[in-house]
Amino acid sequence: MNLEKKNDNGNVWLQARQGDSRDSYVQFILEGDCVICILQGEWSIDNNSGSCVREEWNDFLSENPAINHFMFKLHSEMNWDSTLVSFLHKCRKDLQGINKTLKFDELPKGLFQLLELSKPTIIEQKQNEFSLSLELIDETINYFRKAVISFFEFFGEWVLSVCRLLMGRSQARFSDFANSCRACGASALPIVTLISFLTGLTMAFVGSVQLEKFNAKIYVADLVCLAMVREMGALMVAIIMAGRTGASFAAEIGSMKLNEEIDSLRTFGISPMEFLILPRTLSLLLMIPLLTIYADVVGILGGLVVGTVVMDFSIIHYFEQTQVALIGMWEVYSGLLKSVVFGLIIGLVGCYKGLNSGNDSSSLGRAVTAAVVVAVTWIVISDALFEITFSYLDLR
Amino acid sequence: MSIDNQISEPILEVENLKLVYGDYLVLENISFTAKKGECLVVMGASGCGKSTLLKSMIGLLPPAYGKILVDSEDLWSVETEHQSLILKKYGVLFQGGALWGSMNLVENVSLPLQAYTNLPEPEIEDLARYKLNLVGLSGYGDFYPAQLSGGMKKRAGLARAMSLDPDILFLDEPSAGLDPINSHRLDNLINELKDSLGMTFVVVTHELSSIFDIADNSIFLDGQTKTLLDFGPPCNLREHSEHKRVRSFLHRGNPVK
Repeated sequence: MNLEKKNDNGNVWLQARQGDSRDSYVQFILEGDCVICILQGEWSIDNNSGSCVREEWNDFLSENPAINHFMFKLHSEMNWDSTLVSFLHKCRKDLQGINKTLKFDELPKGLFQLLELSKPTIIEQKQNEFSLSLELIDETINYFRKAVISFFEFFGEWVLSVCRLLMGRSQARFSDFANSCRACGASALPIVTLISFLTGLTMAFVGSVQLEKFNAKIYVADLVCLAMVREMGALMVAIIMAGRTGASFAAEIGSMKLNEEIDSLRTFGISPMEFLILPRTLSLLLMIPLLTIYADVVGILGGLVVGTVVMDFSIIHYFEQTQVALIGMWEVYSGLLKSVVFGLIIGLVGCYKGLNSGNDSSSLGRAVTAAVVVAVTWIVISDALFEITFSYLDLR
Repeated sequence: MSIDNQISEPILEVENLKLVYGDYLVLENISFTAKKGECLVVMGASGCGKSTLLKSMIGLLPPAYGKILVDSEDLWSVETEHQSLILKKYGVLFQGGALWGSMNLVENVSLPLQAYTNLPEPEIEDLARYKLNLVGLSGYGDFYPAQLSGGMKKRAGLARAMSLDPDILFLDEPSAGLDPINSHRLDNLINELKDSLGMTFVVVTHELSSIFDIADNSIFLDGQTKTLLDFGPPCNLREHSEHKRVRSFLHRGNPVK
């Protein structure tokens, strides 16, 4: 410990050992059960000298429990900033915690005023700390129960607002719907083109290697065509739209919530469900099947490029084989049916997550992430359910 | 207000400043000086360019013309690295507090201390809690910004701006949204920090009561002429300014002779 004791006319002195390199010191002068703490040196935020004094202070407190009165003074020649005030603030807190009295009367006026201003006005409030207990399990179950109920409430409200729209009593604006159609339809064409063309192309390559073993290379056309219209067209478009449009819905509505725009709509009696969510979800519901048809065609063209350039089939031959593969329009309709459900999932999840994001920027980030992750998960789950149902109903 | 302030040297000098947004002229011919340890208030009707001037002074908006000298160094003509050294002397309170939402209040105030000092962690936390106490937020250290009211966010923003004991503190509308008690407390705090630590304050505000409590000096910006209309202690300007608009402003818009 960095203290030494000496006797001087009956007083006990405790002081910091001289000769060390630090800048700030505290000197304790004992007078009966009272101690005078004299602070000296250079107290600055830029040097770390205050921490030695803090150690000395803690040691002094633990070694001298009998002292009841503390008085603080400043050496005449010293420089100080907030580190000194913060130290004295801590001393006050320590001493009040163990019912000792302290006096700041002899400190300079400015320092005394700053200490007065920083006196706690209310009792320290602690946030709930994390603990693993039955309560936590109960809370978790409750959280999920509430989440499910609130989503179904949201879905119910959406269905009601669609009904109001059909009855011509909705507050939704057509211009919002048109803008949203453009944003999630036409603007998505380049990325949908690229992804579905490459999907068709890749499938054709993968298929050709396998089919060549059976000398059945021409069935590449069947493979690409059926895979695109039944499965890949709808799935790829849905995943692109979840990342692109679902995230943008969540971000847009979440930041509107952050700026209290949603609250201001409600105060005017305008339902955010009809004004914001309905145009977005309906436009996605309309655009996703159209994009899926487009993706099916582009995917088949991707296969055609491999078929003609790499495998040397003629274009006519490839198209004829594609036509043979598509024995009925149900193949196409089943893909479109899936895409409508995917669109509903993306739109509703995106808007729901945005509307339920918190009041700070980090929760907005979480809402956008959740919108994409939840939508993609439910797309894949519902796709699997569709395929299981179709095969049990002999629709494949 | 003290004698020391009157003889102290200038810390912030603005010379012939011209500010534009693209082709739109916001302010021109702005020249004034803030001395060490004084509180300079920037006044003016809303939309006259007060916040734009502040943006330029804190290094966010380069001026079209003119200089901003901090301790005799031109903020806008030095190298970027040197500019960040100058900016370290600053503390800034933004209008909405601009707290970082992912951190609680203690973490918000501690971050600059962790970045620029080598104080140990417990001392940083003590300092952060002390600063929060100064602005009347004792007990809210573990709260997140989203859990606070607008006024509390603003006060926490002030605690963060003060975290490094800056030479100059820029406050954008500090008392807007505060109740009278906390607003008065804030004025007291400004006066105490000025007197005891010698901090310089540049405050953008319209609150008249606050202006007369804290300002040693003030400038009045005018939206019509897009320039600085008058400069001086607000009590003097209220009675003796040669511009009627300034006198009227300082008389709460009441008609003046």
